[in-house]
Amino acid sequence: MGGRTYSGDVPAPTAVPDTTVEADEATGLADAWVTIVWNDPVNLMSYVTYVFQTYFRYPREKAERLMRQVHQEGRAVVSTGNREAMEVDVQAMHGYGLWATLQRGGE
Amino acid sequence: MRAFRRQKGRYVARMDAGERAVVASVVADVAELLGAGRFEDGVPAAGPGPHAGAGLVDGAPAGPWTVRTAPLPPPDDPAVRRLLPDASRDDPEVAEEFRRLTEDDLRARKVARLRSLWTALVHGEPGWPDDAFVVAPASADDVAATLTDLRLVLADRLEIRTDADSEALYDSLATAAEDDVRAYLASVYGALSWLQESLLAVMLTAHDERRPGRGPSDD
Repeated sequence: MGGRTYSGDVPAPTAVPDTTVEADEATGLADAWVTIVWNDPVNLMSYVTYVFQTYFRYPREKAERLMRQVHQEGRAVVSTGNREAMEVDVQAMHGYGLWATLQRGGE
Repeated sequence: MRAFRRQKGRYVARMDAGERAVVASVVADVAELLGAGRFEDGVPAAGPGPHAGAGLVDGAPAGPWTVRTAPLPPPDDPAVRRLLPDASRDDPEVAEEFRRLTEDDLRARKVARLRSLWTALVHGEPGWPDDAFVVAPASADDVAATLTDLRLVLADRLEIRTDADSEALYDSLATAAEDDVRAYLASVYGALSWLQESLLAVMLTAHDERRPGRGPSDD
């Protein structure tokens, strides 16, 4: 995340909790996957928006922005998380008739 | 055919007997493609069951409590493959594992939804006029998703591959005079698109009403 800087007296690190946090963050990065939804000529824009609003619980503006990105750019990342979570999202998208794939983030 | 509107707490469209028969037959065709037995008139058919097709693929039928251990090859029919798509475009291992673990369940869910829609089209809704196509709000997601599945299969047969193909098809509907299979499929596709769009309009309105105060600030 970054952005936070300390000035003045920096408190002495409490070794154990800090190590745990770093280890978790490292694991989180290694496990970062994304769900991508691909454009197709069949799905209605209203339907794709509805799916993004109801399944992901995105507000309408975000759902519409992602829908337009899929339509205009051919694909959009619609969710991020660990691999298991992305498999759940991809299966849900396939249930809705949207074509989704999962892949490691940053690829 | 008349668009969906809200009526007595339901989403109701109007379809005459001929329109219902045409759509029901497409529903049965798609279910058959997914390996279900042919839906028969009368009581909803049990058929060989939703796993029949999957079982024929590799000779090892999988039930809901079994886990496949052998790879499950993707469907040969491009329309079926679009209904049960690859979960990766560039990693065969990810796609193979995902298909092996999830395809049976997805296939069964889609067949079950098709069966419900077929029953609603063939038998109608007690207490409503014969031409009323009645959808309970709780079932609307399933109906909308099933309309997508029908349209995906029709689009494959109509060779709609791009947004431009889709636009051209909608344009052709206004002028179509040809009496052939393609024109027939195109008119069914057009009607289902229009029906789904009208269903989505009432679904989105109902969704907005359920979530008052949601807006850009939540993004």
